[in-house]
Amino acid sequence: MLPAMEFLIKDEKVFSGGLSCRGCGWSLLVRHLSSILGENTVYVVPASCFSIIAGPYPLNEIKGTIVHTIFAAAPATATGIRHTLDRQGRKDTNVVILAGDGGTFDIGFQALSGAASRGENLIYLVNNNGAYMNTGIQTSSATPYGAVTTTNPNSNFKKKFPKDLMGIIAAHNIPYAATASLAFMEDYRAKIKKAKEMEGFRLLMVDGPCPPGHKVEPANSIQVARLAVESNLYPLFEVEYQNYKVNYRPTKQLPATECMKLQGRFKHLFKEENKHLLEETQKVTDYNWRRLLALEKLSVEFVL
Amino acid sequence: MNNTETSTKKKYPRHTEKVMKGNFAAAEAAKICKAGFIPAYPITPQTTIVEELAEKVGSGEMDAAYVNMDSEHSVFAAAMGSALAGERVFTATSGQGLFYAHEVLHAIAHFRLPMVVCNVGRPSIPWNIWSDQSDSLSQRDTGWIQFYGESSQEVLDTIIQSYILSEKLEIPVFVVLDAFYQSHTSENVWIPDQDLVNEFLPPKQLKGTEINPDKPIAVGGLVQPEHYGKFNYDFWIDINRVENLTNQIGEDFYQKFGRKYQAVEAININKDTKIILVTISSITTTAKGVIQHHPEVGILKIRLFHPFPKNSILEALKDVANDTLLVAIERNFMGDKVGAMMQELREAFYGERYFKMIDVFTGQGGKDVPPITIEKIIYKAKNNPEDVIWIDME
Repeated sequence: MLPAMEFLIKDEKVFSGGLSCRGCGWSLLVRHLSSILGENTVYVVPASCFSIIAGPYPLNEIKGTIVHTIFAAAPATATGIRHTLDRQGRKDTNVVILAGDGGTFDIGFQALSGAASRGENLIYLVNNNGAYMNTGIQTSSATPYGAVTTTNPNSNFKKKFPKDLMGIIAAHNIPYAATASLAFMEDYRAKIKKAKEMEGFRLLMVDGPCPPGHKVEPANSIQVARLAVESNLYPLFEVEYQNYKVNYRPTKQLPATECMKLQGRFKHLFKEENKHLLEETQKVTDYNWRRLLALEKLSVEFVL
Repeated sequence: MNNTETSTKKKYPRHTEKVMKGNFAAAEAAKICKAGFIPAYPITPQTTIVEELAEKVGSGEMDAAYVNMDSEHSVFAAAMGSALAGERVFTATSGQGLFYAHEVLHAIAHFRLPMVVCNVGRPSIPWNIWSDQSDSLSQRDTGWIQFYGESSQEVLDTIIQSYILSEKLEIPVFVVLDAFYQSHTSENVWIPDQDLVNEFLPPKQLKGTEINPDKPIAVGGLVQPEHYGKFNYDFWIDINRVENLTNQIGEDFYQKFGRKYQAVEAININKDTKIILVTISSITTTAKGVIQHHPEVGILKIRLFHPFPKNSILEALKDVANDTLLVAIERNFMGDKVGAMMQELREAFYGERYFKMIDVFTGQGGKDVPPITIEKIIYKAKNNPEDVIWIDME
């Protein structure tokens, strides 16, 4: 196949010199997001890797407004901004939360649920890299089963599966929620465009590559993200008013180990005595996929 | 109807006299100050403030965005977002709600965002919903200016003045009222006409520092040690202006509305005064009644508690003799050897005046402080005063 003859990003909205690690997902996802949303956008950023990447005072990595806010309340801060911009006649301005998994699954969870319940007209983007990476790889409730972090070290690796954030957010009966991967750029970009055109509370969860946290070679970032989708560890789907739609079905599902073996955080699972844990992971991955397909079949048209 | 003719006969022209509870006076103040954003969350004894505001917005009487939030933490975070975008913000809270919002209080103050918030004072665990100032006084170091209202009228008038002060200095303001004794007690309140308030408090002017999608900036990014102190220095400059501005705005308010307010109020304080009760909030009113029978006793009411109005206090006490006894009345407990008032008074007098001072803990957790308790305090002060007295334990 010929290489793409043109770049996807026609109108770059991110300045060079961003402070992300090599192979980090944040820069790539923000470049695509900001090029589609345009400059008439307010980004609300709770404590996260992106707090740093966006630049210290008084710098701004993006051509757009950035409001750095407290860890637990980005959706609440965004609520205040949204209502005030609306009263100023700026309903056209996008208000977008850029959060990590810690700020979404854990400490910011209540504010997220509150904003979703109220149906605030906001876009929430969570870069899910599966741990508190900004503080140096501590376990969050998004950390995958079997992963090692600094607060689940050695044989005390994470022994719980992450919580189903997409299921919980879908239960809020919001217009749009979707997963996305940086290895499936057309799908990710289409979802940003779709979310942009809708009103109400919209959430995108992006599988976040993190070479230092996942113990992955930076050059392999996107490959690992691709394998996560091809193995059904990170399925691509969207939910509109609790109706699920799977966006990508691997022609041949790869074993979860194909993705996991490239990540040092799972290295210990490949020891002979932990073989059963890898099998368990595969079983749960398959269960999640089958459940997703079942949810897709459940689709009931939402009537308002 | 010809208002002009009849209104000139009123005690306060261009006002309407109504009987209302303190919480309703606070809500009315938010309305006439044209607050445009009200994030809300219920907590006793504040709840009727946000209920009344919901009613005013819902009925179209008030033009504002009213949002039911998921917690006080989110209330203050939403208030922060709205103020960042330039809105005039109002909300109210109490006790645990205020404690829960503590983190955001720092952020709002240090982002230099103007807003006025009512706190209806109550203490912390074990559960208690009654009058106590431990909640707001324990937030002293968050950077918020704090006023304490003696009456519902004073609460309403102080909210109006606070918007002027807050928007001028870009520092947020708490207006505190007593749980139940004020919040749920009906009094006569003179409500200024809307056009009179408009003349005193114009619509909020944007300063150009607000977020504006047309002129994108980043707000609140990581500040390096080289720059951090400059923000605090600028804050310090402005916090030093609060006391004088309070007095000046109080004078302007008097010219316009006919009611006079200053940072402190001195009652029966002169060269013959032997004892001075230092009070805040509604206990002041009780004490005013009691000292009618004690010509040698005066009252120093602290209306602006933070930043503590040192100069106004020294001025109010300039004629009193050095052997005058000061009695700090504490409806708070900071987990310390003395209460918040005593700490502030000592700091204010240090290097300026020396007074014998005693500290009296009373009215804790809403215990009534009737005239007989004030009488007891005066009796104690006259006869073998101890340094610290818990008056209700006897």
